[in-house]
Amino acid sequence: MAIFNAKDRIIECKLVYYGPGRCGKTTNLEYIFKAFRKQTNSEMVSINTMGDRTLFFDFLPMGLGKIRGCDVKVQLYTVPGQSRYRSTRKMVLKGVDGVVFVADSLEVRRKANLLSLKDLADNLKEEGKSIFNIPLVLQYNKRDLEQQGIPILPLETLEQDLNSKLKVPYHPASALKGEGVGSTLKEALLVTLRHLQKELHWTK
Amino acid sequence: MLKEADIYRTQGLLSDSKAKYMELLSIIVKSKTLPNQEKLIAGVKSKVRAVEKSLNELRDAPEKPELSEELQGLIKKLFTFSQTKEAAAIEGAVALAKFGQYEQALKEFHKLLEQGVLPVVTAKNMIKCYTALKAPEAAVAQLAKWKTRDFFSTEDLKYIRAFLKTSLEKEGFTTPVPEVEETPASLPSKGRKKKEEEFLEISAISFNLQAGPFTGQTLDFDVHFQSANTVTVLLPSTKKDLADSLVPGTRLNDIQCYSPITVFRSTGTVSGSTKIKQGPRRGDYTLDITLDAD
Repeated sequence: MAIFNAKDRIIECKLVYYGPGRCGKTTNLEYIFKAFRKQTNSEMVSINTMGDRTLFFDFLPMGLGKIRGCDVKVQLYTVPGQSRYRSTRKMVLKGVDGVVFVADSLEVRRKANLLSLKDLADNLKEEGKSIFNIPLVLQYNKRDLEQQGIPILPLETLEQDLNSKLKVPYHPASALKGEGVGSTLKEALLVTLRHLQKELHWTK
Repeated sequence: MLKEADIYRTQGLLSDSKAKYMELLSIIVKSKTLPNQEKLIAGVKSKVRAVEKSLNELRDAPEKPELSEELQGLIKKLFTFSQTKEAAAIEGAVALAKFGQYEQALKEFHKLLEQGVLPVVTAKNMIKCYTALKAPEAAVAQLAKWKTRDFFSTEDLKYIRAFLKTSLEKEGFTTPVPEVEETPASLPSKGRKKKEEEFLEISAISFNLQAGPFTGQTLDFDVHFQSANTVTVLLPSTKKDLADSLVPGTRLNDIQCYSPITVFRSTGTVSGSTKIKQGPRRGDYTLDITLDAD
């Protein structure tokens, strides 16, 4: 998907927030939209229906300004998490350059995280990509719920479950409070732009 | 436990919430020393009913509601990657269908058909839309209309009918699909050149190279695009050596062609090779192979 216009020195890339239903993908984008007003040059498109569930995708275009002499633009997407929307997730993944996998820290969502990560790997494979090669960052969301006495998975368990083979960067977060959202995005952009540098040589 | 169930509910994790309420209910029911037991049971049961109501509403909600024209336009814009006008137009309509916007997709496919854009591909997509809309009668009626127009040859109509029949059967519809008969109206006009729609749709090809570094290797490709007897396949950027071997003019003397209804052998020539410069396949190669007409 990434498009590099060498003449005007503009690079455009696509980041997709993936994860099980109700893990906080849309909440991540909503926070980014509010907190990075300077960089978000248009409205966030969010198509939800009853129960705030994403049925199609969320879309947020951002302009990061000049990086190493190049105008960097990024399109952020979320996918619908519910298992029945697999074909929509496949569509949204078309041309993806980097992925943020948002895992739900709640103990009751342990299996949902694993299934969603497998679904991501399968859908990437169908796109001709490998989960082991694509720029990927994990976010362990809803860490704040521990303070309310809700059983959450220790980071070590999440790492063991989801990241023991991938060995990608991870960020604990509470998207509702905005904690860890910016650092996740920054790291995802960093690994994606680095990866694209190898492919497109977009920096001078 | 109650707080946990309440939080799952506010998080939208309705099944988990219900399970927790039920667990709590079972503990309360078993308890023999709990004061206000009846009141507590009634309170939890009321919460269970509320969660069940939300679950039912979700289950009954349309899977893909119809979106506004503006959002449909955005979908087309965001999910169209092809460079050629025709392929992009089809891709846009297919994107609408993939996002469940079948009514609008049908309108777009109708327009494309009127413009003569890849009629067989367009017709198949229309059938997919009718099937998804659970409108088998409309699909059959559409086929009947196509029989009276000159969009398709008899051979194409037979192929489209077979596709329609299979699609309906797959979805469990028993609607009868009338046979396609040979009629003067549906025959190609005299002297008319073979057009795109008169060639069988080919979904994959395989062939062996007779010269160069890949001699003897069987190469399999999915067909990405087809226009008349020219098929376009994609080579990943990692297969540069292979792309370099398949220069335009290369003869292919034994090509196995796979169509949804048959497998046949053909011969052909590499008629084009392009490195993709933009879009999701940037860096990959497209290879055009023109099959010999007979």
